[in-house]
Amino acid sequence: MPLYVEILISVFLVISGVFGFVGSYGLIKLKDSVQRLHAPTKATTLGVGGVLIASMIYFIAKTGHISIHELLITLFLFLTAPITANFIAKAYIARNMREGELPSSGGRYGWAVYDDPPESRPGS
Amino acid sequence: MSDGAHFLFLIALLPFVGALVPGVMIRAGRTACASFTAVPTALALILLMTFAPAVLRGEVIQAEIEWLPQLGLSASFFLDGLGFLFATMILGVGLLITLYARFYLSGDDPMGQFYTYLLLFQGAMLGIVISDNILLLLIFWELTSLSSFLLIGYWKHLPEGRQGARMALAVTGSGGLAMIGGMLILGNIVGSYNLTDILAAGDLIRASDWYLPALILILLGAFTKSAQFPFHFWLPHAMAAPTPVSAYLHSATMVKAGVFLMARMWPALAGTDAWFYIVGTTGLITMVLGALIALFKDDLKALLAFSTVSHLGLLTMLLGFGTEAAAVAAVFHIINHLTFKAALFMTAGIVDHEAHTRDIKRLGGLRHLMPVTFVIGTIAALSMAGIPFFNGFLSKEMMLEEASHTKWLDSYYVVPVLATLGALLSVAYSFRFIAHVFLGPVRDDYPHKPHDPPFGMWAAPALLTVLVLLIGILPAVAEPIVTAAASAVTGADLHPHLKIWHGVTPALYMSILAILGGAVLLAIHAPLDRAWIKAPRPEAKTIFDGLVAALAAFARTITEGVHNGAISRYLAIFTVASVGLGAVAFAGGGLSERTRELLPIPPVIAVGWLMLIVATVSVVLMHRARFRALVLIGIIGLSISAGFAYLSAPDLALTQISVETVTIMLLLLALHFLPKETPRESPMGLKLRDGLIAIAAGGGVGGLVYAFLLRDIDTISDYHIANSYEGGGGTNVVNVILVDFRGYDTYGEIIVLGIAGLIIYALMQALLEGPAARRLRNVDYSQDRSRDRHPLMMVVVTRLLMPIAIMVGIYIFLRGHNQPGGGFVAGLVIAIALLMQYMASGFAWTQARQRIEYHAMIGFGVVIAGLTGAGAWVFGLPFLTSGYTYVHLPPIEEFELATAMLFDLGVFLTVLGAVMLMLYSLSRIARYAGSADVNVEAMDYDPSERQSDAEEAR
Repeated sequence: MPLYVEILISVFLVISGVFGFVGSYGLIKLKDSVQRLHAPTKATTLGVGGVLIASMIYFIAKTGHISIHELLITLFLFLTAPITANFIAKAYIARNMREGELPSSGGRYGWAVYDDPPESRPGS
Repeated sequence: MSDGAHFLFLIALLPFVGALVPGVMIRAGRTACASFTAVPTALALILLMTFAPAVLRGEVIQAEIEWLPQLGLSASFFLDGLGFLFATMILGVGLLITLYARFYLSGDDPMGQFYTYLLLFQGAMLGIVISDNILLLLIFWELTSLSSFLLIGYWKHLPEGRQGARMALAVTGSGGLAMIGGMLILGNIVGSYNLTDILAAGDLIRASDWYLPALILILLGAFTKSAQFPFHFWLPHAMAAPTPVSAYLHSATMVKAGVFLMARMWPALAGTDAWFYIVGTTGLITMVLGALIALFKDDLKALLAFSTVSHLGLLTMLLGFGTEAAAVAAVFHIINHLTFKAALFMTAGIVDHEAHTRDIKRLGGLRHLMPVTFVIGTIAALSMAGIPFFNGFLSKEMMLEEASHTKWLDSYYVVPVLATLGALLSVAYSFRFIAHVFLGPVRDDYPHKPHDPPFGMWAAPALLTVLVLLIGILPAVAEPIVTAAASAVTGADLHPHLKIWHGVTPALYMSILAILGGAVLLAIHAPLDRAWIKAPRPEAKTIFDGLVAALAAFARTITEGVHNGAISRYLAIFTVASVGLGAVAFAGGGLSERTRELLPIPPVIAVGWLMLIVATVSVVLMHRARFRALVLIGIIGLSISAGFAYLSAPDLALTQISVETVTIMLLLLALHFLPKETPRESPMGLKLRDGLIAIAAGGGVGGLVYAFLLRDIDTISDYHIANSYEGGGGTNVVNVILVDFRGYDTYGEIIVLGIAGLIIYALMQALLEGPAARRLRNVDYSQDRSRDRHPLMMVVVTRLLMPIAIMVGIYIFLRGHNQPGGGFVAGLVIAIALLMQYMASGFAWTQARQRIEYHAMIGFGVVIAGLTGAGAWVFGLPFLTSGYTYVHLPPIEEFELATAMLFDLGVFLTVLGAVMLMLYSLSRIARYAGSADVNVEAMDYDPSERQSDAEEAR
């Protein structure tokens, strides 16, 4: 394996390590749940992404084939991480905030946590 | 072996098959029911009679089919003189009882049931007397206990009937239990459970050290069944049964089973001092005691019951003497007792039926009102008393003759004197039966004006009294059958001559003394009776009830001590016991030297290990906050999965991850309806105790694993690895173990899993019909609940993931045989894919879009797995043997088809069905808890409809 590839891989690994560390540190450092929500997003996107890119480069250099496992992992991360964040935020709003504390939704309907969906079941 | 020997099977089977008939035929009427009940009995009797010439010649007919040769149990029957005698009695009296019961039972009694029980009992009795295998005999023995329980308790509405039945079952059942032990010992001594072998090995048995325990245990069985002292008390209480039952059970069958057994075992067990003193003495005591009590019983049936006890004692005593002449007398008396006692019971039944009372003190003078019954009853009672020219006289004379020269503990007087006393008392109560019921003036205070019953009712006892007279006057007619039976009992070639006049012998004097004494006793019965009533007597039923109550209380103390409903106690008992056994095993030594060194611990692994420990300790500390504990448990589960993956167990890791996911999801759903905090209930001492137990168990298991890891030990894994591909056709050893090597285990496990799923469903059903449902309805969950129940993002993503997850599931299923995967994991993966849909769009919405019944899925899973296993039988292989082949279809790579895969499909379906059924059960709670409204759309708000929404606003 040529040196520049190794250096490339190392760079991505270091980047992922730094972001992983920052993400974990943020989880401890930040004040409440909504703020903390930001920290692990860095770790999952850039942190894990760095490792995945490094892994792909490594396997291309080693076997000559493109490894698509990493792409699948990325796909699943992109699918699951937003849902998790979305749910944590919703749970936080439902438990810790009153309706008036939120800014206006800007549309004709209020926030989903408080308002029934438009054109919902008859009678509600 | 004769040509028709296989008819023996038919004879044994006929009553059981016939037992199905009455229940059907009762719809055609009572007479039809009785007639059709008689058919199997009559058929069996006719078949039996075809063997009569051969048996009377002294031949033995045998038929055998291997049943469970591993246990030494075979369905083998044999018919010799003794068996023939008893079989004839059982079937013949059975026929008469069928006739008698037709007229005896009233229209309110369920006659179909009665005849079914009767035939079951008849079959069981018949089985006892023609079994050639003692294990088979034991089965029939227990069957008689059970079916007689049904018969005695036939009048379920009477408390005496129920209690009498229970007492009979308790006494004869426990005796049967002892007998099982005795028979097994006997089989062990001889090395065969075949009766013919055992009977031939008498010397070997008597010389064995185990002779006495075997003898006592077998005699316990025989004595309880034949109501010998001190187990005699159940028989009178069993008189609460309808009279046909009493007549059948207590004259010809049930109680004679014990006597039959002693006669049957006579060649093997008799002839020792132990036999003589146990059997002979018990019989003697029973004979005298039974006769004494009978004299003072006012209930006609109770009188007959105790007289039966007394006569059984007589038979037991004769068999106990151990001489051949005594055996002849016993066999002869069995026949005679049957004829007069069955007739007497039926007479008592007729009197009860007509006069509506059986109390002797309220009867009398019936000879004018019921002349036919009077004649029948008198003949039978005179025979019971042992008056010349009635058959009872002949055998009683033989008994007295035997007793007159029997020495008991160096005394020549004990046996003759007591035997004469017994005979004397017997004469007294027989005379009392005649005098106080039929003779005397006609009274006007009968509860019901008695008159002779219809012919059908007195036909059966009349036939029996004809036999009484026939044998009594011409004893030679009974000679062939007595000869055959007595030869079979003793195993010797006997030629007894039955005659009325034996010349002037001691027995004659004893007989005369007995008759005269009996008459005197009857004359002074009134003052004696008053004295008897005043005298304190132990009441057997009170003692028995007290004993049973004490035993029940003892059992309850133990049960409630260890089984008090608290799972912590069960776990504590189980764990302490396991640790204790482990400690015993460890203390035994034998631990080999350690042969391996510790490996270095990589830092990453150490960190993972540390995390696992921290998470575990945290669960213990934080278990009261249930959600937090659940998160921690999830961490532990995933760490363990990682550990499996690291230690090259991908199958386990895969399974662990999916199980963990499903468990956490279901627990989350369940926790929603449960308190969020665990209350503090255990005091400090209990915590300390439980903590110590937990540490001891955990430390013990850890130490065991550590000890194993440090030693090179041959395990079964080597065999599995070596044979997985050749034997099971798969390279994934774990999967091959599951579906092939240990397929039986897996089969059992999926059944258990399916049952668990069904039970959760059933429990939930019961729960939602009880008070819990009301509480659920009143809980207000709206406060902590978001208004958007089915968020858009979640719905879209789960929809997107569903096909991928299903594909993964199928992939894992198909590769299972050769690579990590298999039906179990695949079932869980698919279950997770479906669970996601349920969580995103709600249960009812999703349920409406799939048409699979989860109950049925469990059933199909088990059936498919079972059929796959059974398929091996078609090829003559044992259950669950797997076959495999390789298939090559052009577009795909060559792949393997194994029957194991079909089995795996069963596993897959069961797992999926069970998990989904659990989810379904939980969702039912949710619907009870107020969210009964079902969403029509998959998600709360579908943006694709926004356009129309906007237009509407315009």
